[in-house]
Amino acid sequence: MARRLDLALKHAPLRAPAPLFERPRAARGVLDSQTGFMRALGVVAVLFLAVLPFIDASRYTMSIAISALIYVMLCMGLNVVVGYAGLLDLGYIAFFAVGAYVSGIFTTVLGWPMWAALPATVFACILAGIIIGAPTLRLRSDYLAIVTLGFGEIIRITANNLTITGGPSGIHGIPSWDFFGWSFEDGVTVLGLEFPERVVFYYFVAAVVVVVGVIGAGRLARGKLGRAWKAVRDDEDAAEAMGINTYAAKISAYIIGAVWAGLAGQLMATHLSAISPNSFQFLYSALILMAVVLGGMGSTPGVIIGALFVSLAPELLRDFAEWRFLIFGVLLVVVMLFRPAGLWPATAILPWLKRDRPQPPPFTSATAAVPPSVLESPSGAPDADVREGGRG
Amino acid sequence: MMQLIWNGLIVGSFYALVALGYSMVYGIIKLLNFAHGDIYMLGAFVGFFTLSAFGISNETSIPLLLVILLLSMVTTGLIGVGIERVAYRPLRRSPRLAVLITAIGVSFTLEYGVRQIFGPNPEAFPVRLESRGVDLLGMRITASQIVLVVIAAGLMLVLAHIVERTREGRAMRAIALDPQAAQLMGVNVNRVISTVFFIGSSLAGAAGVMAGAYYGSIDFLMGFVIGLKAFTAAVIGGIGNLYGAMLGGVLLGMLESFGSAWFGGEWRDVFAFAFLILFLTFKPTGLLGARVVERM
Amino acid sequence: MAAGVLALTAGCSGGVAGGGSEESEDGPIKLGMLAPFSGSESAFGAYMQNGAQLAVDEINADGGVLGRDLELVVEDDACDATTAVAGANKLVTEGIVGSVGGYCSGATLPTLPIFDEAGVPMVIPAANSNELVDQGLPGVFLINGTGDQQAAAAVQYAEKIGATNVAVIDDATSYSADLAQAFTTQAEEAGLSVVFEATVTPGENDYSAVATQLVGAQPALVYWTGYYQEGGLIVRQATDAGYTGAFMVADGSVDAKFSEIAGAGYTENVVGTFTQTPDMIEGADEWIADYEELAGDPPGPYSTQAYDAVRVMAQAIEDAGSTEFEEVVAALEGLEDFDTFAGPLTFTENHTLSGGGFVIVAVDPATSNFVLEDDLQG
Repeated sequence: MARRLDLALKHAPLRAPAPLFERPRAARGVLDSQTGFMRALGVVAVLFLAVLPFIDASRYTMSIAISALIYVMLCMGLNVVVGYAGLLDLGYIAFFAVGAYVSGIFTTVLGWPMWAALPATVFACILAGIIIGAPTLRLRSDYLAIVTLGFGEIIRITANNLTITGGPSGIHGIPSWDFFGWSFEDGVTVLGLEFPERVVFYYFVAAVVVVVGVIGAGRLARGKLGRAWKAVRDDEDAAEAMGINTYAAKISAYIIGAVWAGLAGQLMATHLSAISPNSFQFLYSALILMAVVLGGMGSTPGVIIGALFVSLAPELLRDFAEWRFLIFGVLLVVVMLFRPAGLWPATAILPWLKRDRPQPPPFTSATAAVPPSVLESPSGAPDADVREGGRG
Repeated sequence: MMQLIWNGLIVGSFYALVALGYSMVYGIIKLLNFAHGDIYMLGAFVGFFTLSAFGISNETSIPLLLVILLLSMVTTGLIGVGIERVAYRPLRRSPRLAVLITAIGVSFTLEYGVRQIFGPNPEAFPVRLESRGVDLLGMRITASQIVLVVIAAGLMLVLAHIVERTREGRAMRAIALDPQAAQLMGVNVNRVISTVFFIGSSLAGAAGVMAGAYYGSIDFLMGFVIGLKAFTAAVIGGIGNLYGAMLGGVLLGMLESFGSAWFGGEWRDVFAFAFLILFLTFKPTGLLGARVVERM
Repeated sequence: MAAGVLALTAGCSGGVAGGGSEESEDGPIKLGMLAPFSGSESAFGAYMQNGAQLAVDEINADGGVLGRDLELVVEDDACDATTAVAGANKLVTEGIVGSVGGYCSGATLPTLPIFDEAGVPMVIPAANSNELVDQGLPGVFLINGTGDQQAAAAVQYAEKIGATNVAVIDDATSYSADLAQAFTTQAEEAGLSVVFEATVTPGENDYSAVATQLVGAQPALVYWTGYYQEGGLIVRQATDAGYTGAFMVADGSVDAKFSEIAGAGYTENVVGTFTQTPDMIEGADEWIADYEELAGDPPGPYSTQAYDAVRVMAQAIEDAGSTEFEEVVAALEGLEDFDTFAGPLTFTENHTLSGGGFVIVAVDPATSNFVLEDDLQG
């Protein structure tokens, strides 16, 4: 009996078994892979940023473009805290204030050049992140929300009451960027093109910082640290059991968020040349949070879209400014109820890639190496949700 | 000195009334109802709207105030139930972050909805309490303050009775301990949660009307700061504990009263929030809170 | 790539090389106004816009300026530096030749360099912090009395009623803190003793702590430099706490809402420092009627200043014979006794009013409006 089987196998033609799954085609073009498409999108966005001043360099366009870039930077930072690490920070604007005030004080009171104030800003934000984060990150998430809100108010009121921060009228006369004796005020001529407007230089500085900030935050999120953040967000106990130092993960997210906001603050201080405590009210913390939530927590393209929407909508729609907080409030509730992952969820898959995903073969008893219940997984297909840690 | 204590007690009774709602809701469904302070604001505006609709202004009658108080309490109570039904109930099984963000959305909707209706400027509340005072024991006490403290104390006694002596109250305490077990025992959890929202919101609405009648000026953002302060009070007293909320409210009122006397009024909020952070860091269960082992 | 960019630039006049304002020579002369239309101060934006629009309409009806029509372009500053800067940039891009806005000093300050760089002269109707002119920018003119001038009026009145012990309370905003500081300095120079100074947080309801301290300090006059909402609450709570001295408020509190919030019977001791408004000036009924026809509401604070700002700017452009920055500034500096609501206007060397035009007003119990009490002349 056994011998006959041996013989049968021996004389059977050699052939690879038919694959259980149709293998996905190898990605060829830009449109064929998720990563490739996102990279291409990024390159297009960067090109657009670079070309924008050549299309329209009016003060107004440049000014709202800079504001929008600053919003993007803030939202990327808050996205690290809320989207990746799952910590609700309602006083995020405080770090923006720290960045703006530190760079403002160092350049006006101490007379440092703007680039030299940069390390001071970063250091102050790290310090502020630790001071605010260290006692509060051990708390439950909803306590954390209120405590950060309280901290945000404390920073604003303190800035309003102290003399060194200029009291209620704030700091003005903040110098522009200058490098080795050449200031943005001077203008420059390159290749026969005259660049007279300093606002255009601010724009380029802001664009470079924000592009680096966006890419940096995105790469951090994909690294070891980023995976630790998402693990902590999804289940802190399980993450701890897997050997992640959850406290260190949370505080690092907090510090990175703080540094991003601080850099945005410095950008704003140089752009406006004046800062006052009025710009750091709770409302702005809430606006940034709205941008992140509407766009999609943890999703880089989503957060950028959210930031652009929140910062540009009042400029583009004249009557919108009056109504925007009411509309944002309603939108927050509606999004949370019906589309909690935001407009462009972190787990989104490009629609034309969905059909290419491997499908399990039709079930027959012949292929039943395992009980049917195992094959019929509830999702029906291996889902990106699993990879990215889907979030409800 | 005595004056500072008395001033603190007055402010504290507002904090306590708002803190009670915070604490009750939190105790039962572990939701930090961010929009609670705005219910206080709504209470004041419901009163303002009703009185203005009848063309009443510059009144000082206490019975009229009580009528308006009841009307506002019922209205804000129903609004609170509606908010829970529409915005919070569908998310009861969602991550906490989602519910918190929804609560912030509700808060903005209420604030800026009222702003669109009544405008951004402060309004004068049409019913005012007679507030000339007498000197007593080194304090200056006014009639309106007495009315205020009596009403606040009365409301708190009623609440304590409901929670401790009625069937509904027993159901609330059961849900706070273990919602699933309570449901298995035949408690209609949804109805009890609605009741809690009704009671909490109507207390906040009552505080809003009283603030309007006592201070005289109302505006659409009046609930924001007091919401934060009431939360602080609830935490100081031990969130989830009713007596803790009352104690925390009065205590915070006094702390602020002394704090602004010593450090100056501009530092008053800093002082209050610093206390909140200290408490959460060193004694997160508050003065009367039960020790609960709980992770986020 | 580089060639492409260059080609693109050459083709677009709005690009880097062709940037700047798009001023045209025959269209209307555009005047820009930044004012708060959203946020806590949004009521004042409408008052200012309507006042300015009235002036523009009147001037256009008389044939315009230099044979061209005036056009008012309005942007929101929300009383916030960020919004104000965006608004200023927008106005400059739209090609305004003069700015007639500015309400909150904190929001106006960062817009000055933007207008200055773009060569836009500024006649600021409401914002009155001394810091605005301390920047030393050539194109900045204030037609509202400054904090120093208002404080002088307050001190003058305090001396007049024989108050030797005075107190001052501010609300921690830029305008209010400046004014409180100026009042303290000038009161001490005048030999008055400032027995109590305090700062409160705006937006709260309970000011009993400061009221209690005020009663303890026993001043004969207290000067409140903030806005009407907190002012009304403080006067009531201080009176309840047993304060019996005079209560003087600055122009931000001079509003009918002040007496409504304070309540009936609490405003007998209240006076205010204020620039003259049309209802205090004889023969201004016609102006008020015109304003109401345009706006549908009676004029409010800073309506007249905005009206005057447009007229001052128009006059200067007419005198200069052009809209060039240097010539308009020179014309503004050369204005002599130009007729405004606040009296004849001549700018001082640092571009402020020679006299602040401040008078003392008091609450009329019948209407709860502020009416002229003492013009401080003689």
